[in-house]
Formats: sequence, C-alpha cells, structure tokens
Amino acid sequence: MTLTEAPVTAGQTGSHRLSTAKAMVEAIDLEMERDPSVFYLGEDVGKYGGIFSSTLGLLDKYGPSRIIDTPISETGFIGLAIGAATEGMRPIAELMFADFMGVCLDQIYNHMAKIHFESGGNVKVPMVLTTAVGGGYGDAAQHSQCLWGTFAHLPGMKVVVPSNPFDAKGLMTAAIRDDNPVVYMFHKGVMGLPWMAKNPRSIADVPIEAYEVPIGEARVANEGDDVTVVTLSLSVHHALDVAEKLAGEGIGVEVIDLRSLVPLDREAILRSVGKTGHLVVVDEDYLSFGLSGEVAATITDHDPSMLRAPVARVANPGIPVPYARSLEYAVLPRPDRIEAAVRKVLGA
Amino acid sequence: MTDVVFPTLAKERPEAEGVVSTWFVDDGATVAAGQLLAEVMVDKAAVEVSAPAAGVVHLLVAEEDTVTQGAVIARIT
Repeated sequence: MTLTEAPVTAGQTGSHRLSTAKAMVEAIDLEMERDPSVFYLGEDVGKYGGIFSSTLGLLDKYGPSRIIDTPISETGFIGLAIGAATEGMRPIAELMFADFMGVCLDQIYNHMAKIHFESGGNVKVPMVLTTAVGGGYGDAAQHSQCLWGTFAHLPGMKVVVPSNPFDAKGLMTAAIRDDNPVVYMFHKGVMGLPWMAKNPRSIADVPIEAYEVPIGEARVANEGDDVTVVTLSLSVHHALDVAEKLAGEGIGVEVIDLRSLVPLDREAILRSVGKTGHLVVVDEDYLSFGLSGEVAATITDHDPSMLRAPVARVANPGIPVPYARSLEYAVLPRPDRIEAAVRKVLGA
Repeated sequence: MTDVVFPTLAKERPEAEGVVSTWFVDDGATVAAGQLLAEVMVDKAAVEVSAPAAGVVHLLVAEEDTVTQGAVIARIT
C-alpha cells in the first residue's frame, strides 16, 4: 500500500522520472483532466489507490463520482462500464487480477468485444479494461497468470502490455482515446512498487505532457544481429539482462518488445528474423495454443526458409504457477532459461 | 537549507526503521517545491516524499538503505 500527498504534475513540458505505476496514473490523470467522459471503476481503486497503485492519488483529485470503488462484482461493474461506453462515456474498468476473468468473461468477450460488430459498426465501446498480470512474487496459481493469449485469442479487443514507464503512459493515453475496447495488462513486476522485487527498468524518465504510443507497434528494445528474442512485459527485462550478458561473448541478441498482442506487429517480427535467421519467443503465458505459437507461425506462414534453426519457445510449460519460489522460478521464463534457449538456437 | 526527513509511518513505534525504496531525482538535481523526490517504506506501507522547498537536492542515503523514521535523508539548498 502506498499513500500519496504529492500533486500529479500536469500542463508542463520536459520530462521527469517515474515508476511504471506512476506513469500509468499520470496518463489517466491527464486524460481525466482533458476529457470529462473518462472515469475509473473497480475494486480498491479509490481510497486504496489500486492494489498495485494503478490509481494512486486520483480519488483526492477527482472524487468518488469519477474514481469509483465497486463491490466484488466484476460482472456488474464491467457491464456498467460497457453500458456507459455505448452511451458515450470513456470508462476504465479494473479487473484486479487477470486470473479473475473467469467470473466476468461473458461481459468481456460476448459483450464488450462484440457489440461493435453485432451492431454493424453503429455502436462503439470506447472503454479500457485494465488488469494486473504475472507471477514471480509467490502469489501462486490463482494470482500469477498472464492470460493475455486468451484475451488476444478472442476477437474484438485490442490487447496492450507495457513493459516500462514510457510505454505504460503512452499506451494508456492511446487506449483511453481509442474507440475500440482495449485490454491493458500490466505486470506487477514492472510497476516499480517498493514492496516488490527491485527492477531498475521500472523507473525511468517520461515526458511530462500527454503523448500516445501507437497501439500495434513493437519496439526494438535492443539491437543485435545473431538472434531475435520476441517477448513482452516483464520478460523484456529478463531478455535485456541476457542480451547484456551475451554481448560480452560477442553474441548479438535483438530484443523485440511486442507492446501489443492485438494488433500484433508481424512486420517487426519478420524484419528482425529476416536479419538474424534465429528466433526465440519468450512468453510468461502458457506455452500451448498461445502467443509463442502465433509468433512462430508468423514466420512459417511467410517464409519458413528465413529460419536457420528451429524456433525455441520459453514459456510456462502449461502447469498452474506453483507457490514455492524454486518451483515458481522453474516454470517462469527466467533469465537462465532464456539464455539456454538463445544458446540452443545458435548452437553456441 | 531545508532538511528532507524520512516520514513517521509507524506512529506508535517512532524508533521503527524503514527503507528508501526509490529516488526519483539524482543527487545535485534542481527541484521544485512539491516535486516527487522519493518513495519510502516501513514494513510494507509505502509513502511518497516530496520536496518541502525548491532548490538543489543533496541525497544523503542510497536506495535500499535502512534508516530510522525521522532521519534526514536529503537536504535542499
């Protein structure tokens, strides 16, 4: 839990250092200031400021009519947000953990995602569904899943996954302004929270003014010529650690941060693998029927001869995330597994 | 000169220790009054520390350092 007294800066130029959580809040703040149709609702998003600090300080500024604490009733308040969105508001609804999607999935994939299509494009649902994802901090099988592959599999939603403060702010701004439903999935391990494991890349300078990161554009987080690592979210940070280590051995690891699953920036994947000829996909979500297979198919659908070695996939092998730290680390895509996969595809 | 002190989060235990989790400014940076300087934590409760005055900030403790509540963690000149 974090208490706040500092006002969020607005209307200035230049940059300042923020955690990913504070960058996310700043984007919401600037859009709420600019657009009275934006409001935020969910469990513990008011006085508590969001269990992972996604709304810290906003209640003091905007009051309980725009920062709304809800009961534990995900179907109810997500449905409320959908209805408000179809009537012209721009709600942001927070599903506290992506793991809880099961209790409200009908609202999400049958209503939020489909109303635009079912109305022949006449009704828009310009809302954001925020949700915390990911493991690595001992929260076990029901509070550690990523599940972005599931959201991305179901048609009708954009799905964005920021890995750092700059993208967290820019993607949130873009998500709020987007006329489509956008699922915004933030990994607890990239938020820069004092009570989580220290992650230096979760604190960075970001512009003070509002800006958008275009949804659907991947980012080259590190350039390299020998192997492409396509990844997202917290795994970007692990992949960058591996890239830094292997650079010392003369191995050039190109790290692609997807930033969005839907739309998926297939051109960025093809461009990089066209250069390196080697692909490792690192995905904290489950291995089977998910993102890692989709990324691999992006190459083979286009031209399998681009690959000089089989694709390696580093993901959760398909078991519930264990509570015991050693077992949890064994199933998550930690740096040791990523490094081993890079060496395997390179035969190095 | 203005002292920036580690806030007393555990009020019933003034001698309690806490951690300076994150500095959001560099040593020697020019800061505005009210600007976010740090996030600090006692047990698992965290709080933001903002600049009590404008000026040049001098950081007296490193990130992850443990200090007693009320200790001076920075000075602004």
